[in-house]
Amino acid sequence: MSRPLLLSLLTYGLLLAGIITVHGEFIALALPLVTYLLIGYLQAPGEVKIEATRHLSAERSSPDSDVDVTVTVTNHGLRLEEILLNDIVPTGLTVRSGSSRHLLTLASGGTCTFAYTVSGPRGAYNFKGIDVQVNDHLGVSSTQVQTEAHGHLFIFPPVTRVRNVAIRPRRTRVYAGMIPARAGGTGTEFFGVREYQTGDPPHSINWRASSRYSDTLFANEYQQERVADVGIVLDGRLRTNEFSRGHSLFEYAVQAAASIADALLNQGNRVGLLLYASYLGWTLPGYGKIQRERILHALANAKTGDSHVFSDLEHLPTRLFPPESQIIFISPLTDDDMKPLVQLRAQGYDVLVVSPNPVKFELSYLSSSNAEVQLAGRVIQMERSLLLQKLQRANIHVLDWDVKEPFDQLVKRMLGRSPVILRAIGR
Amino acid sequence: MTNIALVLSILLGTASLAMGYGQAGATAYPRWFLLLAAVWIFMHFRKWYWFSSIALLLTVIAAAYGVWREFLTVWMVLGAVGGLLAWDLSDFARRLSYAAPMDDTQTMERQHLTRVGIVAALGGGLAMLSLYVRINRLPFEVAVGLLLLAVLGLTRLVIGLKKY
Repeated sequence: MSRPLLLSLLTYGLLLAGIITVHGEFIALALPLVTYLLIGYLQAPGEVKIEATRHLSAERSSPDSDVDVTVTVTNHGLRLEEILLNDIVPTGLTVRSGSSRHLLTLASGGTCTFAYTVSGPRGAYNFKGIDVQVNDHLGVSSTQVQTEAHGHLFIFPPVTRVRNVAIRPRRTRVYAGMIPARAGGTGTEFFGVREYQTGDPPHSINWRASSRYSDTLFANEYQQERVADVGIVLDGRLRTNEFSRGHSLFEYAVQAAASIADALLNQGNRVGLLLYASYLGWTLPGYGKIQRERILHALANAKTGDSHVFSDLEHLPTRLFPPESQIIFISPLTDDDMKPLVQLRAQGYDVLVVSPNPVKFELSYLSSSNAEVQLAGRVIQMERSLLLQKLQRANIHVLDWDVKEPFDQLVKRMLGRSPVILRAIGR
Repeated sequence: MTNIALVLSILLGTASLAMGYGQAGATAYPRWFLLLAAVWIFMHFRKWYWFSSIALLLTVIAAAYGVWREFLTVWMVLGAVGGLLAWDLSDFARRLSYAAPMDDTQTMERQHLTRVGIVAALGGGLAMLSLYVRINRLPFEVAVGLLLLAVLGLTRLVIGLKKY
């Protein structure tokens, strides 16, 4: 029950008792309550004119890093005797130090500044405003308003630097890059031998081949290196990512997507991202640092989800990706994912699957002393190995990732390109 | 500071009621008032602030009952004022609990205690005054004005109840 209502009821009860019993003392008893109520109402806060501004020490951050939030509140109205400011911290963020709630007195034209530190997991967080509750000094009347003080904080997934991601899509774009283009021209990798033409540099002449013919010179041709179109498909289906006891592989998948996108964009490729979860989150392909930001924003917002439509890969919109381009599918994989992936390969796409290993992940937190769990783990691991073999037989490159191993090491081992000098001596 | 004032207010209210009842020969009641004081203090320190409303209700009802039984009214008024003070301070303590450690709560406490002390003194003083000042003839205009005030107050109360 609200405070003024309780006091009013008591006051009228006493007055009524006084009238019924014709006892003036009842009214005398009511007088302190009436005085309290009247003074409370006389001191009631008027129109609340509050303005708030917010400053974040960083608008982009990494998981569990501290971000300072500074809020300045200015009172443009009358003096506020008791004002409770409660900055609404977005769900997911934790206040590490300081406080987002303050009780104070604010003079007319006065300003109050408070700061606190937040941190949180990957995500996009919107600070909306501040709940302001103004009371008279007896707390009889109260006014509640919400003042806008917007702020956006993006906590991006950690990006592990991956030096080289060696991919070989059938089709490349016209611009020079680092992806072998399956076409002769200038480059570093030997491609073939052709007849010497005027304008070819003398050092390109293949003397061994030319010596076999008396009147013709032959020149070495190198493989052109160009940029390519790459579509990264991040599997956000709940059934493939979420496991018992709240464990999830999705964060690892997001990290892998971020690292691969970063590496491919650094190589100059055109990269797009498709989040395949309860909805399709499509980041249009693009180049460079701006595209890196776009992809990181999309990954910051990425969440797992469940949907009947996207429960399997049958509805993967392949038309989003240019024909014969590279598709990198990041998923723990299930048995029924094989057919759509093989179909993608059959359509001419070059498919690379990065699969965080769900079996090893689950076994890592289940009891290692339980023989039945270990046996079940072995059986499921065998089934998974079989699935991966089938995919490899369909000419799909698969990276089976035990998430205990750092992702950059896996990529270096499985996808890294050795430096030119080592390739020249055949290592 | 608020907690000390709150305990003193609870003791003032309940001890006044106990004294009033005890002086009138109703010796069975004072122990219940002391129990109410103990429970109220316990509940406050457990941060169960909702109990203060119940305690205020009990205090005022006890004071009204005392008035009806024609016990010494001064003690009853003091009991009601003590209950009102304690109820106010309990809610103020609840509001203070929202403050951050770096907030200047000491100044707020000092100001609030001063103001609520003045309000209690004023209310108590008016009540005491009304006990000794008798108006034998009330002019018709004043009576109509008081009636209108009562109607206005009742209307506001009904509106408040509807909202609740």
